[in-house]
Amino acid sequence: MRTIRGFEETVLSVGIDIGTTTTQLVISSLTIVNIAPGACVPRMEITEKKILYKSQIYFTPLKEHNLIDPVTLLKIVEKEYQNAGVKSEEIGTGAVIITGEAAKKENARSITEALAGFAGDFVVATAGPNLESVLAGKGSGSAAFSKAKHMVIVNIDVGGGTSNFGIFKEGNCIDTACLNIGGHLVELEKNGDRITYLAEPARLVLRELGLTLNPGDRVDLSSLTAITDLMAGSLLELLGVKSFSKLSQELLMTPRLRLDYPVENVVFSGGVADFIYSDYVPVSVAEVSRYGDVGPLLGYSLRQNFLKHALKLHPPAETIRATVIGAGAHSVSLSGSTISIAESALPLRNIPVVSPFPVGIPLEVKEAAELVQAAIERLTSDGSTEQLALAILEVKTDSFQAINELAEAIARGARGYLLKEKPLVIVCKKDCAKVLGQCLHTKVPQKAQIVCIDQVEVTEGDFLDIGKPLFAGTIVPVVVKTLVFSGLA
Amino acid sequence: MSIEDDVRAIVEQVLANLHTSETIEDLAEEKEEILPAENSQELPDLTELEQGKSLLVPVPYNKAFYEQMKKATPARIGVWRAGPRPLTEVYLRFRADHAAAQDAVLSQIPADFLERFNFLQLQSACRSKDEHLTRPDLGRLLDEESLTRLRKEAVPAADVQIIVSDGLSSTAVVENLPNLLPALEQGLQSMGLKTGTPLFVKYGRVAVMDIIGEELKPKTALILIGERPGLGNAASLSAYLAYNPRRGMLENERTVVSNIHRNGTPAPEAGAYLASLLEKVLKARASGVKLASL
Repeated sequence: MRTIRGFEETVLSVGIDIGTTTTQLVISSLTIVNIAPGACVPRMEITEKKILYKSQIYFTPLKEHNLIDPVTLLKIVEKEYQNAGVKSEEIGTGAVIITGEAAKKENARSITEALAGFAGDFVVATAGPNLESVLAGKGSGSAAFSKAKHMVIVNIDVGGGTSNFGIFKEGNCIDTACLNIGGHLVELEKNGDRITYLAEPARLVLRELGLTLNPGDRVDLSSLTAITDLMAGSLLELLGVKSFSKLSQELLMTPRLRLDYPVENVVFSGGVADFIYSDYVPVSVAEVSRYGDVGPLLGYSLRQNFLKHALKLHPPAETIRATVIGAGAHSVSLSGSTISIAESALPLRNIPVVSPFPVGIPLEVKEAAELVQAAIERLTSDGSTEQLALAILEVKTDSFQAINELAEAIARGARGYLLKEKPLVIVCKKDCAKVLGQCLHTKVPQKAQIVCIDQVEVTEGDFLDIGKPLFAGTIVPVVVKTLVFSGLA
Repeated sequence: MSIEDDVRAIVEQVLANLHTSETIEDLAEEKEEILPAENSQELPDLTELEQGKSLLVPVPYNKAFYEQMKKATPARIGVWRAGPRPLTEVYLRFRADHAAAQDAVLSQIPADFLERFNFLQLQSACRSKDEHLTRPDLGRLLDEESLTRLRKEAVPAADVQIIVSDGLSSTAVVENLPNLLPALEQGLQSMGLKTGTPLFVKYGRVAVMDIIGEELKPKTALILIGERPGLGNAASLSAYLAYNPRRGMLENERTVVSNIHRNGTPAPEAGAYLASLLEKVLKARASGVKLASL
């Protein structure tokens, strides 16, 4: 649903988080406003993100332990749309994210993509521990908190299967990592004291402790606490507070944190966070197992262990809903407002980004054209992709000649690519997309579809989704799925 | 005592010290420290350094945040002090920026610059820079000779009539036009729009387009004109667009795009944007408030 009121436009956005333990959905409205003073070239920004509807929290529907149940999942979304009073045609944007252990299921990818298609027109399918860390930190409020307080905030989203670390500085994510530690890796009989399931990472922890426990066994509180304490310790190790053990290395799903920033201020989000910030004290296994897992106990262990190491714990704005809110309200950004787009080519999904000029654009057009061609071949030669986006990081935006020459280089370098009649996406960091697109159109076949946007920062290895234009064709919504983070952010 | 007097006193004192009893080493050292320019051939241009990069607080409490604040604004914040007064560097920078603003208003556009673009050169009814500044009404008219030349030499009835005028900043025209005009012309050309004879009006005001419109009857007119400079920026260009430009048209019939400069909308991007805006104006047969409310 989009309503235009003067200089403002509202877009409905959905977030769906399929986690190890729980599945949830939120619907929010994003208000896009032209924030430039009257006489200037327009500049659109999302000025308000309002959560309109929060679904109930469901257990993620599984068939056995290695398949997600697509029928039940679809029913959940259908029912929640009904409850919220929205139709999928009204949803302008958003993201489906599959996280933690759920992302390891055999049908994870196909399900998220199908669900994204069902959920709305420009709803993107996402996954990956790094992206999850970013979205959780934005949804929990840590990104905004780091900007408001000018502090580096370590956001740790502890869910059922994974602990996602997102480091935020001035609102930007500067580092991420993910440990295979969560509250649902050890499943217990609800309100009982029997183990019903042990995920692989939990077995590693048991091995380290020298405990032999199997599904069906009864377990006491001290053994369980030993498990969750060791898990909590692993989180501290990743933060550099304790020395890094072999176990943590095995549980690590990404590269380690760089730790070239101060680690003092920590915010926990995720379902387990509710037990970190409460004064919860476990009394018995039967009471710990109220959700059928060790989540509450892990929260208790984390609080004890983190406070012991003099880390400051700040409360999050959201706990269990952090990731879904991140996916729903923080996954989309906007392009600059002077762009050049072939509307018929949009939306574009999952476009891999390649950066032809990592160290600047060469002065010779011929040389630049060769770099463009090489970059295109690097991605398309193995047949894994037919479409791509060129990232243009630096260009002299105040020189028409420089831009015209860049256009010439791209037109020459992409000649073969354009023959295949695939849309060519160009993403500039700085404000020059309109003129670059205009220059390109004078140099490529008339049929060629060019999507040239700016004020979006992407680097090689990212994936990009571009939606249909908003605000009478002046801007496009963009979702950047960044996999790597630089310390310079 | 004014700040200016203070600075003069300080400089005089420094110069006096240089010529007194110190040893040669001291002299060299001091010279290097206080008057670096004396050794080099050229004085550094104080206005070259971006305000955002001029970090003068010696020991900031939070350096990262200080840098971030500086980057966020061209205003003179976080400039430190010498006792209760501004640092010499800061004071001189202020004077230099003020001088740049005055230069932008008072200087003329070089003749060879105008020749590069094949403009038909016209002049408003103002006879001097002084009159241009004091008589806005005359800046909206053309002098007799220019009017005759316009009628005789300019191609009438274009889709887009391009006009360039110095307005209140010659610097803005000189800095932005070479990169804006080719982008604009390329855009208009690819849309198949006919541009008339490009015109330059010396001592012009925005509404000089009304007279030109009356005479040439183009569908739309676009005037690129230097903005009144401020201390932050002396080279900002504005574009005013009008559908059916004519004598007696209302101000609210004009569409304006301002802040075209290096740190605002870059000139080439502005050129391409203006081309698409003109296409929109032609399609809607409206400009100004009417266009905005469509």
